[in-house]
Amino acid sequence: MAAIDPMEQFLIHKVVPVNPIAVPVIGQLDLSITNSVLFMLIAAGILALFFFVAAKRQIVPGRMQALAEMTYGMVDGVLTGGIIGDRGRPFLPFILTLFLFIATLNVLGLAPGGFAVTSQLAVTTALAVMTFLIVIIVGLVRNGLGFFKLFMPSGMPLPMALGVMPIEIISFLVRPLTLAMRLFGNMLGGHVVTYMFASFVIGLGVFGLTGAGIAHLGLAGSAVSFLMIVALTTLEFVVAFLQAFVFAALACVYLNEVVNLGHGH
Amino acid sequence: MIDPAHAQAAAPGAEGAGGLPQFDISMWPGQIVWALVIFAVLYVLFARVFVPRIADTIGDREDKIAGDIGDARRLRDAAKADMDAAAAEMAQARAKAHKVASEAAAEAKALAAARQAEEEARLAQVLSSAEARIAEARAEAMGHVRGIAVDAAQAMVARLTGAEARPDEVERALDAAQA
Repeated sequence: MAAIDPMEQFLIHKVVPVNPIAVPVIGQLDLSITNSVLFMLIAAGILALFFFVAAKRQIVPGRMQALAEMTYGMVDGVLTGGIIGDRGRPFLPFILTLFLFIATLNVLGLAPGGFAVTSQLAVTTALAVMTFLIVIIVGLVRNGLGFFKLFMPSGMPLPMALGVMPIEIISFLVRPLTLAMRLFGNMLGGHVVTYMFASFVIGLGVFGLTGAGIAHLGLAGSAVSFLMIVALTTLEFVVAFLQAFVFAALACVYLNEVVNLGHGH
Repeated sequence: MIDPAHAQAAAPGAEGAGGLPQFDISMWPGQIVWALVIFAVLYVLFARVFVPRIADTIGDREDKIAGDIGDARRLRDAAKADMDAAAAEMAQARAKAHKVASEAAAEAKALAAARQAEEEARLAQVLSSAEARIAEARAEAMGHVRGIAVDAAQAMVARLTGAEARPDEVERALDAAQA
């Protein structure tokens, strides 16, 4: 009987090995195409293909074009428009890419034989730190040194404000961590729990078939576990889109703070 | 960041141990670089191609709808103006027809009145001439009556008395009887 190892599904293995390149400062960099990289490429390919086909210029849109425009409209209306406001327009491509890339990776992780790239902490951290750095760069470019007013609560007596400032700074600096961990944890948890129920289906099923007497109840447990997988998979589809949306929405919230700094948005 | 020795040790260690493979730091740099590169390519595609294309299409559609609504509104206004003009023309024609009809009626009435007056005058003339003739005939008849009375009186006198009455006496007697 195969060993039950819920973490085996997260293992990285090389699909197309590439010789490591020597890079100054960080040392050897292995750019082999792993299963994780492969699924990122697949997600990017699906998105690019879909939008090449769907982003037509018809006045009366077909189904694909309507779907592409709906996605665009949702991000434009709810995320950049709704959270940042009129100044959010320039960030629309970034937020749209972020949302669609994460959502596609999440859904690919649910596909049979798929690999959950967003359950790789390295990837979620990369996206989170990138978002964090973009927020800081946008903040500095837009506001100059006024960017640091972000940590200075307005309308507060000075001594109290000085006390609150470290808390503000810490809560700001911890953002990439929470952003990365939230997505990573949700995807990891969902896949581990689904795996465990799947192992119950097999384990209890075999137990029920081979055992005698009361052991046949194992079949009932197997059936219940199977129904749980169906329910969990449904839930995971919701989570896949929800977590992508949450990531994009938080990126918007962070951008809003620096874009509308001092504008009382 | 990567220590080759550590990477060698960690990879097989993660396989069987059941720990989280995600914390195997040797797998991080490659994934991070690829993730950022792939994201950057996607971002450029969206920023340069897809988003402008979709935004243009949505903008074009809004313009088209607004233009069509404007056209429809303009056509409706034109049709309404035409309708108003037609209604005004109609009212004018009706007023004109009304005037012509009343003029014709007045003319006919005047003509009829004139003809009636003419006829009445003719009838009055006929009537008066007839009356004159009747009066003449009557006067004549009345003259004959006196003669007949004289004759009758003479005849009666002659029969009763056997003597011939004198015409002047008879006349006198008739005058007395008449008075």
